[in-house]
Amino acid sequence: MSRTLLTERNGPVLRTALLYLAAGFALFLAMGLLGLAMRLDHATLLPLPPALYDEFFTLHGAGMIAAILLGAMGGTVAVLSPHADLDPRLLWMGFVFYVLGVGYIPLAVLLGGFAAGWTVLYPLPLAYQAGWTPWSSFAFLLGYLFVALGFGVWCLAVTLATARAYRGVGRALGWPLVFLGRAQPAPPPLHVIVATVIALYGMGTVLVGAAYLLPLFGQTFGLTGAVSALLMKNLVFLFGHNMVNLTIYLGAGLVYATLPVYAHRPWKTSRLSAATINLLFLSILLPFFHHLYQDFANPLPFHALGEIGSYGTGLPVLLVTVLGGLTLVYRAGLRWAVPSILILIGFWGWVFGGLGALVDATIPVNQVYHNTLWVPAHFHTYYLLGAVAFVWAFFYHLVADLGQAHESAASRAAAWMYGLGGAGFVLMFFVAGAAGMPRRYAIPLSGTGEPALATLAVGFTALLGIALVWLSSDLLRALGPAWRKTLAAPEHPALAPGESRG
Amino acid sequence: MNPWGPFAVFLVVGGAWTVAWALVVLRASGPPHLYEPIYQASGRLRRLLFGATVGVLLVVLLASVGWFPYPPVAAARLGPPSVRVAVTAQMWQWTLSRTALPAGATVEFDVTSRDVNHGFAIYGPSGRLVAQVQAMPGYTNRLLVHFTDPGQYLVRCLEYCGIPHIGMATAFQVGGRGDRP
Repeated sequence: MSRTLLTERNGPVLRTALLYLAAGFALFLAMGLLGLAMRLDHATLLPLPPALYDEFFTLHGAGMIAAILLGAMGGTVAVLSPHADLDPRLLWMGFVFYVLGVGYIPLAVLLGGFAAGWTVLYPLPLAYQAGWTPWSSFAFLLGYLFVALGFGVWCLAVTLATARAYRGVGRALGWPLVFLGRAQPAPPPLHVIVATVIALYGMGTVLVGAAYLLPLFGQTFGLTGAVSALLMKNLVFLFGHNMVNLTIYLGAGLVYATLPVYAHRPWKTSRLSAATINLLFLSILLPFFHHLYQDFANPLPFHALGEIGSYGTGLPVLLVTVLGGLTLVYRAGLRWAVPSILILIGFWGWVFGGLGALVDATIPVNQVYHNTLWVPAHFHTYYLLGAVAFVWAFFYHLVADLGQAHESAASRAAAWMYGLGGAGFVLMFFVAGAAGMPRRYAIPLSGTGEPALATLAVGFTALLGIALVWLSSDLLRALGPAWRKTLAAPEHPALAPGESRG
Repeated sequence: MNPWGPFAVFLVVGGAWTVAWALVVLRASGPPHLYEPIYQASGRLRRLLFGATVGVLLVVLLASVGWFPYPPVAAARLGPPSVRVAVTAQMWQWTLSRTALPAGATVEFDVTSRDVNHGFAIYGPSGRLVAQVQAMPGYTNRLLVHFTDPGQYLVRCLEYCGIPHIGMATAFQVGGRGDRP
């Protein structure tokens, strides 16, 4: 339960962490404005031309996922850095690739008119008659390639570091404890196990992304013919599903590292918790099949597996991570601060959004909820009020830890307002979804109550916006001192081979 | 399925979770208590919740199987289709082989696409979403629907397919003239 993450040797890594987090946060704010514009459109307060609406949701979806993942990657290297020596050069390389990729996305959308949605569902990106230029489609996909490459390099950096620090990938994953019940030598902290699982799974995900992108590039240049739309859909949803889930679990990893500081209690690496984290290899994969429900041409067992997997995934989240977190704070004399408030909000949102996902993962219900606003409803809940809350909680914690906290009573009120505004915002999505309002629809559909619901959502978004402006100002003031603190720390040579910092 | 049923369940379970969460949050600060007894009690609660949650989910899972929309299961529930409608999607229009259908019949929609993915979604006369399936190039998805309510049904595209996507809609009639052969 260290009070500070800064050691005498991890300054360079913490600087890259701050960079990842600050860039992710800035991108998140910009993408949030696009989200607001879309809700204003549905509220009929600021009608957008359909082409612009479609560009906005394309940019918003791709940009938000990139933003939160980037922040989560930054937070993760920060919490790893006292335990494992990460190579700052690899982290910088990953950052450059990633940001280069992110740069292509607005270029393709805003200049080239690309608007195929962040899911780039084959063969839509190549259907230029839909209203975009060939170069913009290529640029968008190139953006994905570089983002995946940047993430892949980050995964490599994390895997190498934890494997070196704990003398093998198996030990970094806590396998002696999980499989043999050995508690000596001490198993890695939970956030180290999470990071290692995610990094390994992430490298596989990058390969899935490449398998999806290559036929698209081939067809773009006339090198290959058409491929199976069903196979491509399965691939792109596997890629997207993984990227989103990896982000969420990276966010959870940050909670393992942060909440004990505020609860003054240790979050122990028990055999159950370590095993649960290792189960992520399965529990991230299995629910993927629920994306295939409406493709009746897929084998029936795939559909059944989607429902079973979705139900099964909810159990470890609820009973190990969230229950563990709530146990940690229960009658703990918790220190109320922006990070602890955001983390508790994150627990609420993760479970509430998860419930929405479970409902939608029930196949007969999916018949009437699929591709309605229920879908953004549930993923906004466990994203905005789950993973995002976790990641920005950590960002706030880190700059306060390194620099000077600018937190006031108003900051804590802003953190609660973030939860309140966010909850109201997503609830309107849920109601509109149950009423049958389609997602990715540039106009509100009559009979779904959507203009009124979107108007209410805009009101809640105002609360969210005020909260974010306040918290951003705190962060901005603390960022400079935090950065300088990492520069002041003396730097030492790398660990000798075999030497462990665990 | 009436979409407000699952919505009500969601609100009840979500509300219960919110109350439980709030109770913990309200007891988070204040004088700290010993952690070990709380940790042990949490373990007991986990085992209890595990059993209860697995039990409930198993029941829901088994109950849902009979309501799967996939042709073999749907045919067992709704009866074999007496009417077949070929549905072809193409940017940005629907072509249905017939647009007048009898009420009280099980209809099979054979849905495909000539270009990109589309979403074949049927909205009933009351404006409620009734059923849907993907229209995918190179594949034919068979959707069985039993129509009881007569009236005009709207077909909308629910899979984003380009900027004119919002205008991709058509209609068919159930009952009335649809009852005539």
